[in-house]
Amino acid sequence: MKYITFQLKTALKNFGRNKVRTILTSLGILIGVLSVVILIALGVGLKNYIQGEFESLGSNLLFVLPGKVIGDNGQFQGGSDSRVAPVTFDEQTYASLKRGLAIDYVVPMYTKSVTTEAEGQTKSGSLFASSSDLFSILNLQIESGNLFTTADVGKRSKSAVIGNKVAVALFGGVEGAVGQSISFSNQRYKVIGVLKEKGGGGFGGPSFDDGVYIPYTTSFIGLNPDKKFATIYLGVSKDGDVDVVKGQAEAILLKKYKKDDFSVIKQTEFLNAITSIFSIINSVLVAIGSISLVVGGIGIMNIMYANVTERTKEVGIRRAIGATKRDILFQFLTESVLLSLIGGVGGLLLAILIVSGVSRFFPLAINATSVIIAIGISSAIGVFFGVFPARRAANLAPIEAIRYE
Amino acid sequence: MIQVKNVSKVYEVADGQFYALKNVSMEIKDKEYVGILGTSGSGKSTLMHIIGLLDQPTMGEVLINGKNAEKLSDNELSSLRGQTIGFVFQQFNLIQKLTVLENVLLPTVYAKHKLSFNVNDYGMELLGLFGIAEKANSYPNRLSGGQQQRVAIARALIMKPTVVLADEPTGNLDSKTGEEILQLMEKLNKDLGVTITIVTHDKNVAHRTKRQIFVKDGEIVKKY
Repeated sequence: MKYITFQLKTALKNFGRNKVRTILTSLGILIGVLSVVILIALGVGLKNYIQGEFESLGSNLLFVLPGKVIGDNGQFQGGSDSRVAPVTFDEQTYASLKRGLAIDYVVPMYTKSVTTEAEGQTKSGSLFASSSDLFSILNLQIESGNLFTTADVGKRSKSAVIGNKVAVALFGGVEGAVGQSISFSNQRYKVIGVLKEKGGGGFGGPSFDDGVYIPYTTSFIGLNPDKKFATIYLGVSKDGDVDVVKGQAEAILLKKYKKDDFSVIKQTEFLNAITSIFSIINSVLVAIGSISLVVGGIGIMNIMYANVTERTKEVGIRRAIGATKRDILFQFLTESVLLSLIGGVGGLLLAILIVSGVSRFFPLAINATSVIIAIGISSAIGVFFGVFPARRAANLAPIEAIRYE
Repeated sequence: MIQVKNVSKVYEVADGQFYALKNVSMEIKDKEYVGILGTSGSGKSTLMHIIGLLDQPTMGEVLINGKNAEKLSDNELSSLRGQTIGFVFQQFNLIQKLTVLENVLLPTVYAKHKLSFNVNDYGMELLGLFGIAEKANSYPNRLSGGQQQRVAIARALIMKPTVVLADEPTGNLDSKTGEEILQLMEKLNKDLGVTITIVTHDKNVAHRTKRQIFVKDGEIVKKY
């Protein structure tokens, strides 16, 4: 312990004598660690955000989608097997599922991008044509007015429930929106309710606050003349077995569709597939960030080689008074690792500072992995790029080293 | 205790071989005060480096307390060097970024076995003996040449070595300070029984020792 303390103390003394050099050398690692940690934070933040969006839908949810969405490897399918499949679901499919499954909700969904107009204002968003259970299954709550009901669905009511942002954009706020008329796709609807703010909608996902919600039966007039659904949601009760329901739903659908023409996906499967994608994205980001770490490492190696040359005589003196090759190796390795760690910890602290500032506006998150990677990578860089100069120092012949001027 | 048997040191040069040492044999006994005298290029420093295990002979063998240096690994040589030999150099060779006391204690950091004495106390005792205890926390560049050489001698003694090898210990000092260092060496040998070998080109310095070995052209030409 005394030995290690001495080596650390000696290394710090060396840094103290060359402050500018130490700072500049550590700066390379600092920038590298900073970029890697920020990139990981970005990946983790996005993943957490999307996971949060899914989880907010409730955990006992199944999605019936056209095509084979998730492959046997648990990852999203690409190419011809992907979501873009010729199959769509119709009222018959919906009815079969509703009849055959003893679950809380079976919710058909037709979505379309629309621009809604009212009082000379326009707002772009998504149209959600569904049953009245949609609000329950997606945890959407009313702020003003009412949600449409099963009766509205039955009589093809031209009633619309609008998202919070739509109300703000078209009517300047929630107050006064109910009872007003809105139009999209050359159709007029009466606003019967405004939803509470829900959030979401980033990175390609639907924004519930930007949405306009109408009975699916109403959409059959003009908007969805083919009477097709892109998705059917299955809501299982809390004590229900999602896997059993999945099997039952597949059995029902197989009577009409081929095996690869549809998918019944659990929320956990979606989350796993997303996690898998983000792991790949994270790896790519870390690889990009690591380039700067390598550059920083080369900087450390360069300085350590210069150090060895400058301190050749010192090596000779230490060898003369009993230091072994291993002692010299350890001494220079301690310095390079410490130099790298100073940069690593500095980079990590700076990253934490930046992330805590930026995370108010953008989903960034530092997790334990980031900290371990920052400390681990900077230590590893110190060892890897320090070992060659340290070996050169250790292998100096004592007599040559002590004569060095 | 130190035996040099038929040692030669040969360097390959452009026009053949150069013998820095030719078939040298000598012995340094316990508590001796020996001077190795020779002109520049005579081979005296090479002899000291070989005795001090800093260099290996091309032929012959060196035995330290009966241990044949040739048969030791680099690690064993380093340990043996640290335990049994204390060096004093003409240029002092102190490490500038370490304090006086840290310089003195440096050999103990590399000790491969637990030392039977309190190194801090002993270090301070040596600095006190040499009249520089108050400089313990100073850095070498704040010290005079004579004081730096005293620090170097204290460092050479900290491990209680078998022999202290001093290479031109007064070479970088004025005559008055040089005389003080020589008196200190004599005192260490006489009062504390430290075995000392001084390598020098200065006859006056060599004559202060109790036994002299003269080296010329790589050979021992005279022993007294």
